[in-house]
Amino acid sequence: MVHKFNSYKNAIYGAVLFFFLITSIIATANENNLRIAGSTTVLPIVSRAAEKFKIKHPNISISVNAGGSGVGFSSMADRRIDIGMMSRKISENERKKYKGQEFIIYTLGRDGVACAISSEIFSDGITALSKEQIRDIYSGKIKNWKTLGGPDKKIVVVDKERHRGTRHAFMKYIFGNPTARARGARLVSGSNNEEQSKIAQSNSAIGMLSQAWINKNVASVALVHEGMQIKPSIQNIKSGAYPISRDLDIVTQKNISIVARQFIEFLLGPEVRPLIEKSGYVPIR
Amino acid sequence: MALLSMALGIGIVAYLFWEGGPFIWNQGTQFLLGLDWFPGEDYGAAPMIFGSAAVTLMALIFSTPLALASAIYTAEFLDPRRRLTVKAIMEILAGVPGIVYGLLGVSLLSVWVRDVFNLLDGYTLFSASILLAIMILPTIMTLSEDAINSTPAEHRQAASGLGLTKLEILFSVALPHAAPGIAGAILLAIGRAMGETIAVMLVIGGLDRIPEPWFDVFSSGQSIASKLGREAAETLGSGEHWSALMALALILFFLVIFLTAFGNWLIKGFRK
Repeated sequence: MVHKFNSYKNAIYGAVLFFFLITSIIATANENNLRIAGSTTVLPIVSRAAEKFKIKHPNISISVNAGGSGVGFSSMADRRIDIGMMSRKISENERKKYKGQEFIIYTLGRDGVACAISSEIFSDGITALSKEQIRDIYSGKIKNWKTLGGPDKKIVVVDKERHRGTRHAFMKYIFGNPTARARGARLVSGSNNEEQSKIAQSNSAIGMLSQAWINKNVASVALVHEGMQIKPSIQNIKSGAYPISRDLDIVTQKNISIVARQFIEFLLGPEVRPLIEKSGYVPIR
Repeated sequence: MALLSMALGIGIVAYLFWEGGPFIWNQGTQFLLGLDWFPGEDYGAAPMIFGSAAVTLMALIFSTPLALASAIYTAEFLDPRRRLTVKAIMEILAGVPGIVYGLLGVSLLSVWVRDVFNLLDGYTLFSASILLAIMILPTIMTLSEDAINSTPAEHRQAASGLGLTKLEILFSVALPHAAPGIAGAILLAIGRAMGETIAVMLVIGGLDRIPEPWFDVFSSGQSIASKLGREAAETLGSGEHWSALMALALILFFLVIFLTAFGNWLIKGFRK
């Protein structure tokens, strides 16, 4: 509000705010709270699992937030959350930054990163791309779909925030460097959701997306790898044939709370297997 | 209470200097003029500074004429009841959170901008400035209206006694009297526009580059607040990346201070 308050109201608001601040800090440090954050690829699994877990343990409250693999790791390493979700491995720089600390990684499943394109481009004939072609698009050498035999439309190249696990896997395959620069990029998005909506909104976009996010507006191209066209299907990810696959992990500190341990045991157990498949990924066991 | 606010303010500034100051000191012009932002290698702030300045300036250009016109009309030509209704609506709009505007921007505005201007996509500096213009318009309008309306009745009566028409009274009595208030409203709006994070972050495109050519507002870009919004969470607390981000925050702080001081100087000049 733009009006001035009188000093009494100000003091009361200040006191109330202070009260809420203190109580909320106490509440989040509670032993029966589990704070989880990180990769938006792993999030659907953990989110569904948390719902199921809460039915059996109604006194435990679990908060699951997004943010991306990088945020998940650093928040866990700084002990701001209990469990970090990552769709990539911990990088060298990250380990260097937290020298001396030990982290424990549990793998929940496998996923494939699809090279996603607008469905209009797919139906206009672009159904497979090679690593070199994708590299040329992302480095700005190829600017129009017609160069690749598609419609005469400029390519909307959608990149991702640098710390995202999905980007690491994609860039490692395309450029050989997980943190490569994409000089031909036109837009930068964050979560899988944001990337999906940016590709769906356009009719000539290309981007990197977990294959579980492919829908009728966002198609995935088959990768031309060693002479064969390989689609990011569940079978190809399971068999290892699809070249851009990655583990879906949760990472924790060495010492964690009892509640965290219980939830992790649950996550690795048989009840979560169908949830992983329902989310569109390959369970690890 | 005032001491507490002051202490908080000084504390924030001190923190920014502590965290970001050394980085600017060491990197100097390389940081301020650098055109590439790539954590781990280069930290060039120029695209973000350009983006913040560009979207704020455009937002002001789009919103101020309309806001002032509405303020003048509401203050001078509306009956008290309608005036209060308009004011109430404006003040509610001024309080709408940025995220709401951001979501509307993503789902409606960016599609509209793309279709009307025949662009590849609607995530541009232009879209961000339209969104900001909509956000700051209620603020400028309602505060300017307050300023115009507060012209003392005696001055108006004196002028009308001298034979001035309503329009002449408006321009020679009411507006000059309201000028400091209007300038204050615009400064407040600049502050909000430069600091708005989430709404801008969702529609600006996110590319850390100055457009080619530099005046191509229909290209994707980045503002300081939007950059902080996207990258702060991944590198919280320590490290070179964090220092670079804090240095960016320090620059934003200085930009707003400079604009405020400049505006105050203008007001003082006006008063003479």
